[in-house]
Amino acid sequence: MQDKKQEPVLSARGIGLQRGGRWLFRDLDLDLYAGEFLAIVGPSGVGKTTLLSCLCGMLEPSEGSVSFKLSGTSDSKPVELRRHFGIVYQDLQLIPNADLLTNVLCGRLGRFNSLNTLLGFPKKLRQEAYRLLYELGVAENPHKWAKHMSGGEKQRVAAARVLFQKPKIYFADEPVSSLDAYYAGRVLGLLRQEADEKAKPVLCVLHNAEHIQRFADIALSLNQNDPKAHKMRRVRPLNVEAQV
Amino acid sequence: MSPTPTPEHEKVPPLAELPWYRRLNLLNTTLLIFVLAVIFSGSQIEGNERDLDILKNLGRFLSDFFPPDLSVLKSTGSALIETVEIAILATFFAIIISLIIALGAAQTIGPTWLVFSMRMLLNIIRTIPSLIWAVIAVAAMGANAMAGVAALTLYSTGYLGKFFSEAFESVDMKVARSLRGIGADPLQSFQYGIWPHAKPLIWSHCIWMLEYNIRSASIIGYVGAGGLGLQLHAYQEFHQWDRFATVLCCILIVVTVLDFLSERIRRRIARRDGSNDALSD
Repeated sequence: MQDKKQEPVLSARGIGLQRGGRWLFRDLDLDLYAGEFLAIVGPSGVGKTTLLSCLCGMLEPSEGSVSFKLSGTSDSKPVELRRHFGIVYQDLQLIPNADLLTNVLCGRLGRFNSLNTLLGFPKKLRQEAYRLLYELGVAENPHKWAKHMSGGEKQRVAAARVLFQKPKIYFADEPVSSLDAYYAGRVLGLLRQEADEKAKPVLCVLHNAEHIQRFADIALSLNQNDPKAHKMRRVRPLNVEAQV
Repeated sequence: MSPTPTPEHEKVPPLAELPWYRRLNLLNTTLLIFVLAVIFSGSQIEGNERDLDILKNLGRFLSDFFPPDLSVLKSTGSALIETVEIAILATFFAIIISLIIALGAAQTIGPTWLVFSMRMLLNIIRTIPSLIWAVIAVAAMGANAMAGVAALTLYSTGYLGKFFSEAFESVDMKVARSLRGIGADPLQSFQYGIWPHAKPLIWSHCIWMLEYNIRSASIIGYVGAGGLGLQLHAYQEFHQWDRFATVLCCILIVVTVLDFLSERIRRRIARRDGSNDALSD
């Protein structure tokens, strides 16, 4: 559990989003501290992805505000901080006509200028990216184009890319929806490890109750019938390190 | 549950057919216009009031082509090499220029004013046929192969610029935007977010253009821009049709081989680009 005396890394106050005349959620307050793993849960279509998009600045909330206090940065607005966010999109947004290794390496494009990456990435980085692919079981053919991989393999590549990026905060939209129990545990375990060992906050849309119990600190559930009836509950985390 | 069948005694209302004007969609309208245009153009198929035995004339003319005079094979070979070199250089320069223009002409990349002006430029270049470009280039640079390279470069730029900009526009910009989101600069976002998607299509267009340019390069020599055309022109002037036939045979062989190779390569690129789509996307 986090020390409440420290400032929250992410702070949302009274955020709400209206779409097509309907409120998906309203009056939502959220404080997320360093090293906390938040699971956003709820039935399909309730607005989990939309909430995640509002929190990471990809979508402007209809009301309320989101601010960040990230170490080493003076900005607080999500739009200005995007380069420090590690995002796993629901549709993954991999580069289909690039190989798996390049897809992972692209996670760190923001650290280099275009001249450094014009002829590719340094060998040391390539080995580091390969290690992540290996850890997630997609290292068999790192030079294969992403578009030729299965849905589950692509999802693991997307996870490897975000981990390789080494962001200050993670936003993951159903990052394990196409994975079997083993690799789902592995991906979520690595995110949990980032939270535990590097005190990075993780926000993750999850459906599986077992995953929430095993990996999350807090579960925020949205309600389909009442946009104000969202619930926040503490989840007791298990010792996940043994499972990584 | 299966739908209940209509009882036999129930009267089925008569089918309301579409009136004729409702069938005039774009496809049918353009077809109709084309048929009308063919009918009106029929007046061109008329004799010139001289009683010519067309078939006999054609037979006599074609017999002059045979047998081809193979003694000019050596000079034809060197002209053929020059033709291919003109085409290769023109395609190369056109690719470089077109890539730059296409970046500005792609709606998903360039600002509106730049897109508009680049497209206008490409339209103007495309309007002028390669032979006219060759006449202009020969007037400006003299009768040599360099004029051929310049003419075909300009001509190809009109097409490649359009094809490349369409290739860039076909790319889903989400990936490029997400790369920008994590701090990639515009060049990195292009190199890793747009280029990999557009590359197979662009390369396929380049191969097609090279093939096209080799055909064109054999003709532009007619106006003095180097290559086989120059030789063709000379043999035509002196009515040496047997030599003319040798040059034509060489062009035929090269173009056929190139057409075969180009089609296979482009098909393989397309297959690699699109394979397993149904499974993985």
